[in-house]
Amino acid sequence: MAEFNTSVKDHGEISTVYLEGYLDAHTAPNLEETFSKLINNGKYKIVANFKDLAYISSAGLGVFMAFIEKVRENDGDIKLSAMNDKVYNIFDLLGFPLLYEIFKTEDEAIKKFDETK
Amino acid sequence: MGYIEYSIRTIMDLNFRQNIVRNIKLQSFLVLSVVLFLIKIFFVLPDTFTFKFISELVVILAVISLNFYLLDLMTDKSPNAISLVINIGILDAVIFFLMNFSSSLVNLLLGSSADSSNFLYRLISFIYSYLIIISISFIFLSFRELYFLKRGKRVTTYFNTMTAFFVLFLLSTVLNDFKSLSYIKDTFYVISILLIAINSAKISWIAFLSKRDKIKTLLLSVVIEILFVADLIGSSGTNFHSRIFINFSPALNEFLQLLMIYGIIYFGVLFFTTLFHIPTAEAFDRKQKEVSSLQYFSKLITQVLDFNDLTTTITEISLSASGANSAWIITEGEKEFDTIAIKNIGFVDAKTLTEYILEKIKDVKIKSTSIFNLKDFEKKENIAEKFSSVSITPLKSHNYLRGFLVTAKKEGLGYDEEDIRAIDTFCDYASVSIENSRLLEESIEKERLEKELDLARQIQRKIIPAKNPESKRLDISSIFIPAFEVGGDYYDFFEISESKMAFVIADVSGKGISAAFIMAEIKGIFESLSKTIESPKEILIKANQILKGILDNKNFVSAAYGLFDFTKKTLMLARAGHCPILLLRNNEYVDIRPSGLGLGLDYGNRFRETLEEVTMDLHENDTFVLYTDGVSEAKNAEMEDFGERHFRKILLNNANKESSEISNSVIKEISLFSRNNQQYDDITLVILKWKKENKIDGEKEWQNSTPRLKTTVK
Repeated sequence: MAEFNTSVKDHGEISTVYLEGYLDAHTAPNLEETFSKLINNGKYKIVANFKDLAYISSAGLGVFMAFIEKVRENDGDIKLSAMNDKVYNIFDLLGFPLLYEIFKTEDEAIKKFDETK
Repeated sequence: MGYIEYSIRTIMDLNFRQNIVRNIKLQSFLVLSVVLFLIKIFFVLPDTFTFKFISELVVILAVISLNFYLLDLMTDKSPNAISLVINIGILDAVIFFLMNFSSSLVNLLLGSSADSSNFLYRLISFIYSYLIIISISFIFLSFRELYFLKRGKRVTTYFNTMTAFFVLFLLSTVLNDFKSLSYIKDTFYVISILLIAINSAKISWIAFLSKRDKIKTLLLSVVIEILFVADLIGSSGTNFHSRIFINFSPALNEFLQLLMIYGIIYFGVLFFTTLFHIPTAEAFDRKQKEVSSLQYFSKLITQVLDFNDLTTTITEISLSASGANSAWIITEGEKEFDTIAIKNIGFVDAKTLTEYILEKIKDVKIKSTSIFNLKDFEKKENIAEKFSSVSITPLKSHNYLRGFLVTAKKEGLGYDEEDIRAIDTFCDYASVSIENSRLLEESIEKERLEKELDLARQIQRKIIPAKNPESKRLDISSIFIPAFEVGGDYYDFFEISESKMAFVIADVSGKGISAAFIMAEIKGIFESLSKTIESPKEILIKANQILKGILDNKNFVSAAYGLFDFTKKTLMLARAGHCPILLLRNNEYVDIRPSGLGLGLDYGNRFRETLEEVTMDLHENDTFVLYTDGVSEAKNAEMEDFGERHFRKILLNNANKESSEISNSVIKEISLFSRNNQQYDDITLVILKWKKENKIDGEKEWQNSTPRLKTTVK
């Protein structure tokens, strides 16, 4: 059915993951792989840019849960940014804003990383 | 049943009839033989034409019926050229021995009394004649089999005509006494010889023999040719044989001679044909081998389904087809490439060579077999075997490259055109069979998944309440529509006491069997907790603690738990990350959305600290709507959501109806909206309506129309 793609851009030790399309149970492994690669390469400071993400299902949210512990153990974080209202609402319902820092823009998220360095 | 019985009966009939026919042939032969026996041994017939004619007729009929009987016996087996040739040779030799050694044997037995007046002599003559008859019949039929070997059906006429002329010739020998009519016999004789020559002209079965068999045939034909000549000479002179056999039946002796001539001509032709075939025998052998392995391969396509077995067979066959020493298959693996189905070479060596060849073909897209010389291969010394060259062939199906077949030849050997063509042909077949095996594996996997989902749906159906509880104060309706891939929705009602009833609605993250199992766990947790704890908040906190040991780090559960108190007329509610509970009251809707993290998102204090519990008073006709995101996220063909707003609008429009009517109208709208798309997620919709109490309550409640909610409404 729907497509999902990720791409990664590095800003120094911070990596931005761009999410695009529909993130559901079928496409979640794609994002898992992207995160795995980053973490295997020692990239623990991750910003997820949701600008082009149309939909996220519970399985998609699960991907963020799966890696957050490992990332935070290594003094890193996954910060979420640029969500549209629909996607934000899904995160919000589950209470993700209590667990993750969610920013309006990618830059704000990167800035937050820089500040806490 | 009837049909089968009928066919069985027909087959039995057919067998039976065949047996009868065969028996008739045997019986007529036996009867004729007995008659002959009586004539030849007990009655010495007067030497007149009539009696001679009768005697000859009986002999000929006996021979014909014997031939028919033997023909049936022979056609039961599939003939083999060499064994037929050997057969003829042996029978020929038997005749040779009978001719040359029977006279001394008879002399030894009977001494000087070897005379036709002696009974014993006549008996021996009869047996002798019969041995010859059986031998020549077999020879004749073997010739017939040889003639039909590797020929079309149309040529039967040639042979049958020849047989007919043989019979005519035999019959005409009766006219021997009339010198003036000898031209009849001569004519038949000449025609018979002519037909023999024609029928011996083309011996097509030689072409299909292997080189070894051809040499064997060549030697055999020389020996048999000599035997035939010897027998022909033996049967035409005046000796013991001719005395007995001509006495028995002059016609048969003529037939014997004719058959010997046939043998001489046939084996003469056979000798020369074989001689000419020998130089090309090797090429033919090779072609034959190729064809037979191709046949073997096409059989494999339907037989070998397991991928590993298939690749192993492919390398094995490519070895025999190309005459290579080692072979293996390269497939695209997870990271780089895999070398599989390795034959006659070490794994490391195969890998080293693979790297070398793949490097060579990196920039060229090879379409068919390519050969690489290993002269310049710097790592050649590292390889245990001394290989001179390797071939690589792409394995393609539907224009997708599935891998490569590699073969390697040792020093001193090379690939010629034939080898390359053979490998190419094999790879075409191999690609098809690999693709078949892949498709089969895919469909097995799909079937397995479907079975798994089936099971998941069964689990879900058992977990969800079969019917809604009866309640004096609540009008309850629920609709649950599972998605094909089980979405993990769950709801339940717990009747705590006469005056208290609780409900839970939950959505497990993920899909399929794993979601179904978590659902089952959740059901158990809430069922047991609801018996001991009343507070929705405490229940959710406890449930979260229990789930810590059940959920892995990427799974979580959204849930909402509520408790109706019929005496206090209140609803206590806590929400753990679930969709808001909607309250329809006075033609308005309110999202009841107390804060709370989803179960399994945090196992520490944060969950407890952020979880909020609300208590609200119940008003008559208060309608509580519990749902999962399958409702609002139902999608149409354009992948648009049904939407929260749309959903609420329908609820409001139907708010004054009974709970079941409300839910039905929502579902109707959803199915209308998403009619051109599949259902991706479970749809759960539970509606609880606070009914009018039987005794009229005070008007107080009506005045207090503003809901006192401790909720965050966004």
